[in-house]
Parts: sequence; structure tokens; C-alpha cells
Amino acid sequence: MSEVYKLIHPVKHFNDYISIKTRLDGRNFDEHRNIKLNVNSIKTADASAVVKCGNTTVVCGIKLELAVPKAEEPDLGFLITNVELPALCSSKYRPGPPSDYAQVINNIVSEIIKNSKCIDLKDLCIVPDKLAWVVYCDMVCIDHDGSLVDACIIALIASFKTLLLPSVNYDTETEEIKVETNERINLKIHGLPVATSFAVYEHFQSQIILLTDPTNYEEEMCGGNGSNLIISYNKGLLCGIQKLGGGSLSTENNEEAIRLAEQHTIAVEKVINACLEGKGTNK
Amino acid sequence: MPLDFRRFNGPEDSVSYKIYTKDYLKTYDEQLKDLYDENGKRKDGRELNEARSMCMFCMFARTDMVSQAKGSAYVELRKTKVVCSVFDPREIPHQNEFRQLGQLYCEVKFAPFSCPRKRRPYVPDVEEKALSVALRQALEPAVCRHFFPNYQIDVLIYILEHDGSCLAAAINAAGLALANAAVPMFDIITSCSVAVIGNKMFIDPTEIEEHIAKNSTEVNHGIITMSVLSQLKQISDFTQIGSMDVECVTKVMEVLLKECEIIVPNIQRVLVVDVVKNFELKKHLEAETKKREEILKKKMDEWRSLLNGQ
Amino acid sequence: MVTDMKDVQDFKLKPMKCEFNFLSKSDGSAILSQGDTVSLVSVNGPLDIKMTSQRIDKSTLEVLFSNKNGKPSVENRYKENIVKQTCEAAILGSLYPRTGINVTIQELEDYGGFLACTLNCTCLALLNSGVSMRNVFAAVSCAVDNQGNVILDPTHAQLQTSTATMTFVFDSRDKSLITCFTDGCFSQDAYREALERSRSASDLVFAFYRDIIRKYCNVIG
Repeated sequence: MSEVYKLIHPVKHFNDYISIKTRLDGRNFDEHRNIKLNVNSIKTADASAVVKCGNTTVVCGIKLELAVPKAEEPDLGFLITNVELPALCSSKYRPGPPSDYAQVINNIVSEIIKNSKCIDLKDLCIVPDKLAWVVYCDMVCIDHDGSLVDACIIALIASFKTLLLPSVNYDTETEEIKVETNERINLKIHGLPVATSFAVYEHFQSQIILLTDPTNYEEEMCGGNGSNLIISYNKGLLCGIQKLGGGSLSTENNEEAIRLAEQHTIAVEKVINACLEGKGTNK
Repeated sequence: MPLDFRRFNGPEDSVSYKIYTKDYLKTYDEQLKDLYDENGKRKDGRELNEARSMCMFCMFARTDMVSQAKGSAYVELRKTKVVCSVFDPREIPHQNEFRQLGQLYCEVKFAPFSCPRKRRPYVPDVEEKALSVALRQALEPAVCRHFFPNYQIDVLIYILEHDGSCLAAAINAAGLALANAAVPMFDIITSCSVAVIGNKMFIDPTEIEEHIAKNSTEVNHGIITMSVLSQLKQISDFTQIGSMDVECVTKVMEVLLKECEIIVPNIQRVLVVDVVKNFELKKHLEAETKKREEILKKKMDEWRSLLNGQ
Repeated sequence: MVTDMKDVQDFKLKPMKCEFNFLSKSDGSAILSQGDTVSLVSVNGPLDIKMTSQRIDKSTLEVLFSNKNGKPSVENRYKENIVKQTCEAAILGSLYPRTGINVTIQELEDYGGFLACTLNCTCLALLNSGVSMRNVFAAVSCAVDNQGNVILDPTHAQLQTSTATMTFVFDSRDKSLITCFTDGCFSQDAYREALERSRSASDLVFAFYRDIIRKYCNVIG
């Protein structure tokens, strides 16, 4: 009966749930889903992490390459982040080149990482003007059930934390490169950026309801493309607020969102640290 | 290569650091010697004729990996990790004639970080396209395609980590996912592969074994992947790379047939577990929603009485 | 048709100049300059679109953004998404089911606050095209300098030394936040201050809208 009701009157069905202060999966409005994290499970990548936030699954793999730095920035390395939404993660996507939505997510994730300044590109330079690391970070979404940016950032940061750079000997005269894979050093990570997604639902034209860590269905019901509000923190500072579509926010809603995001950030930091301690950072 | 405007691109001339390591300069003979020790054991401790699926902890398979898909499966053969999802049948876009048989659309994609040697490009390369075709050919005889004329089923494979015999893993995963999606099928489809280097046969080869088998200079060299419908005793696909004499091929086929049979109980077990689990889950969910529906119903009644009252 | 905007209250925005119907062939167009930043937007619609992208309950909004060099990029898709999401909230799309509305944006000059300028220009172009709207919207950009002070509508020179920039879009009814996007690192207090200052400053933009519409209405008679 319930399934039929949901199909015929989706908005009413959703409204009914909201008015009894529950969500379709039984969560409270400000409750987020369980996070499961596993690092270094993919051996072909130089560092990797698998994260599951509820059903949303993201695999992040880092591949290291060497290249000559750009002439205009001779002392900077490269950090290339890409989010892949392959067709298998949801029926919304078709095989082929990345959709517009994938590009938007890609841009948001890369901006958050850039703005949080968690990686100093100077650390990736080996010999100025001659040799630098290129860190390719590919985040692949295996199952898209909302709050994709949160999962991507967790996966990316967890893999960064386990990344070990091999030591490189560069002979300035012969320009010979030797890589020693047995001697590795940790990459310096400044802080621990965490993103928190919200869906903003306009309940009966007046009441604005913030749904923390929305599922795919909730994101669709709130209108807009993906999560409506994404707040990212790094070291107690905000490093990105994106509000796109959904209901409009008043000052109170804004304060509430910031408060919830702060709490969530602390919780996620605990999860990541617990996972890394359990595993140890060595490969 | 034209620049990809839909992604962030790195510098054009970047190379993997692995080409500057010592291991990279090993000759073919050295690499071949590394494959197995004096006792004939392989690097990961297996016998030459021992498949990964044989040992309980090496093959791992499960269904319901992707919540958004109709059916999905995850197969792990030691390090090879494959995800497969199957979607509802949909109408074939841009077609103007009636098709008696439903179509299968198969796509195999490697993750950019999946291969040990180089970074995979984002655009589908020749290997991925060949695998997609092989997968489709293997699955077509197994699916009751006459049940959905004029429609197409998407079978999408994503390889997270490639450590050999990925076509076999992909076929096994696709078979599981199709069953999970309740697509009618004639039989359980299983698949296995063998790499041949000279007179040695490596069952269920790893990536390095496959690599050497492909580049070997011996008369008999190559990889054979075969998929079997076990109850019907039919071979649905046979893919060979490299060259072998007839004797060798028949011998390999016998071995593969046996290996494919061995996998069947494993697949059956996964499917039974899946059915039981889903049944339990449904019961649990129903009980849970009932509670919430009760409250909703009260609300509805309240509104209804309000409406009637006015 | 030119309107200047200076020294209203104690909030200052860069002088805004706008011209409607800059392009003769489109249904509605506007060119807007805020200080040295200039953006050109044309709106076409509601018009017929291909079956696959039609929606039965509302019109489909398509936004095309092209920057100066004309090359597509991931950033452009992101900017398109911002404009699209903002406009979708403002346009009464349910009045035009199964149709499309096309918004085309051309970057002309970017001396800071370009997206804010573009969003304002898009709103003006939509008004000019006569598409029904729920409300109008105003975008205001802010910057935080390295001392932590909030600068409203920063100039190009100020942006060079700032640590963060934020852009807010408000609706005209209850001044609630429709869209917001930021760049750089900043504290919560800076965010709050920037938000409230921008909210007050959005009045100036709405006043400018009224002004310019009034002038054009007089001409049309």
C-alpha cells in the first residue's frame, strides 16, 4: 500500500513523513548515516580508500606520476582530482562522457580541496623546474545514494593520509632519475577537510527543513541537482559553502546548518582517525 | 590526443614513476623465473593448476552491492575486484525495426587506478571494447532474450582492481547480477581462464602471468577464457588470445570445463544466501514501515475528517 | 538608457550600468556592467525542444555559459549550474510545461565579482524577455581581506589581496538566501558579517532594477 501511495502521490507521501518529523528511512532530520571506511584495499593504486555513507559508496585511488613542472610555476607539483560517475552507479546516468552533473560535482570537490589548502603543492615538487610529482586522484562512485560530495571528500582525505611518496634521486648533471620504492615518506596534510551535505525542503511554503546527509530520493524531492547545501570545514575554518537550489534559507536556518555541520565534522574526523589508527599508516 | 574539456587534466607528458625503478628493467627470462619457485609453486603460494576460486577465502562474491540498480554483484578473485550492476529493461533508443530478441548492452570499464603498470585512460580503449564484446557474446546464450523483445538490458561492469582473469570475473559477476535482478536465464553461467606459457598452464592467472603469456616467444602461448552453462553442458563463449596448437587447446578446454563446474556450487550458494537475506530483510522492513504507516494513517484520517466536516 | 548608482545609505556597490535589448534577435537580452566587470545575457523562450528533454510538469531551463576564450571547461559547467539553479527557483516554470527556456551568457570583462554581475544581468534579461517569475533575485559579492575585514563588492585590486570571496543571491520577497558560493578559507564570523551586509546591500540592487524597469516602461509608453 505504502509503495503505491509513494508512486502516485510522491509529494504528499513525502510531506506526510516530514510532518511527523521522520524521514523515509526512519532517521531524524539531523541524523546522518553510518560511515564505513577502509583504506589501502586496492593494491594497484599508490593509496586508496573505500568509503560507504549509508548506501553511497565511493572508491578513491591515487596514482603517482612524474612530470616537469609548469614553466610559470616551477616550484609547484600537480594535484589532479576527478570524480567519476559511471553509468553503473545509478539509473540516472548513461554510459559515455561525464554528464553535466558529474562535472559540477567534480568542480565542487576540487574547489574544496584547493580552498582548504590541506596540501601544499610545493611539497610535491622534487627539483624546481625539473621534476615534480603528479598526484592523480580518481574518485569513483560505485553506488550513488545522495550526499556524494561528503563521501568523495572522506575517501580522498583518507587516501591522502595513507599516501607514501617514494624517494627520488635526481642527478642534475646527467638528468638521470632513480626511484627507490622501499624508502617512502608521508605526504604532509594540513588539517582534515570535511564536507557536510544538506537537502533544503520547503514544507508548506513557509517552513524550511534541513535534512542532513540526504539520500538520492530526498535530494530529488527537494528539487535542484544533488544536495542543496554543502558546508565544508578545515581546522575550524570554513573552506566552502555552496547553496544551490532547494528552499531559501533564512538567518536561523543558516545558523542551524553551520551548527550541524560543525558537529558532523567532529564526528567524521573521529571516524577517519579511528580507521587510520586501526590500520596503521604503513602499507 | 585531444584535450578532455569535461575533466581536469594533468600535464601531458607525465609518466609513471615505476619506469625509473629497478624492477622495470627486468628481462623476459628474469620475469619468467620470478613466476614460480623450484617447487613449482606460484608467487601467491598456489599450485600451477590451482584456481583462486578453489580456496574458500580467495573468491568472494555477493549481490546487492549497488542500491540504485535493479540487480548487482561484486566478485573478488584474490586481488581482482569487479562490480557489476544490471538495470531494468528499457526501450532501445533510435531504432526503427522490430527486434524479436531483447538486446544486451554490455560495457566493461577499468578504473583509472586499476592497473599496476599504467594509468588507464578515461575514454574506452581497445581492450575495454574487446572485453565488452566478449562479455555480450558470453551472456547472450544464457539470457531468455525472447521474453523482452524490442527492449534492452544494460549490464555494466566496473573493474576496480585488475589482477588477471578479469573477463572471467566479469562474466561470473554479470551472471550473478542478472540473477539478482530477476532476469530470466536458462542456466547459471560460470567462467574461468588459463594462461599458457610453453608447456606450463597457469589456471586463473594473475596479471603478471597474463602479461608474460601474451608477450612470450614460445610456440604455445596465450590466454583462453571460456564460459560454460553447466547444466546444459554448453559453452557460451570461448575467447583466445595468442597462439597454441590443437592438442594444447583441447587440453586447456578440458581443464577449463572442470574448473567452471567447480565454481557452480559457489555461485549457487551466493544466490541462495541472497534470496534468504532479501526475504528476511523484507519482513524486517515491512514491520518497521508498518509502525510509521500507522501514524501516517492517523494523520490521513484526521485530514479526511477535517475535509468532510467543512 | 543608463542609470548610475552611488552613495546610497552607507553601503556602496560599484556603479551599475545596464542596457536592455542589446541583441535584436533574442526574446530578451541585457548587458550589465558593475564597475569594470561586464556581462551579456540573452534569453530565448519558451520554445520548442526535443522530446527527450521535455518535462511534463514544467519548462526545461538550459543555460549556456561561454567565457572569453570560448573553450568549454569543467568550471563553466559549474557556473552554468549555479545560474540554472538560481533561475529555476525564480521562474514560474509550471506555466510553460513541455517547453524550453534558453539562457545564453557571454563573458565580456571580468574584473572581480563576475558571477554576481552575471546573475544580476540574467535576472534583468529574464525580466526583459517577459517570462513569468515568482520573484526577482539580486546577487552581491563580498571579499575577506587578510586582516579579516569584510569588503562589499570588491574591486580588482582588493581581490588580489583577499583571502576569500563569497557571493550571495537573495530573493526579493523576504530576502532569504537562494544561492551562495564561496572561494577560499574564512571564519564563521566573517561569513555571518558578509551575509548580513550583502543582505542589506541587495536592497540597492533591487532599487536599481526598479529604476531601470521604470525608465524602460516610460519609453514603451
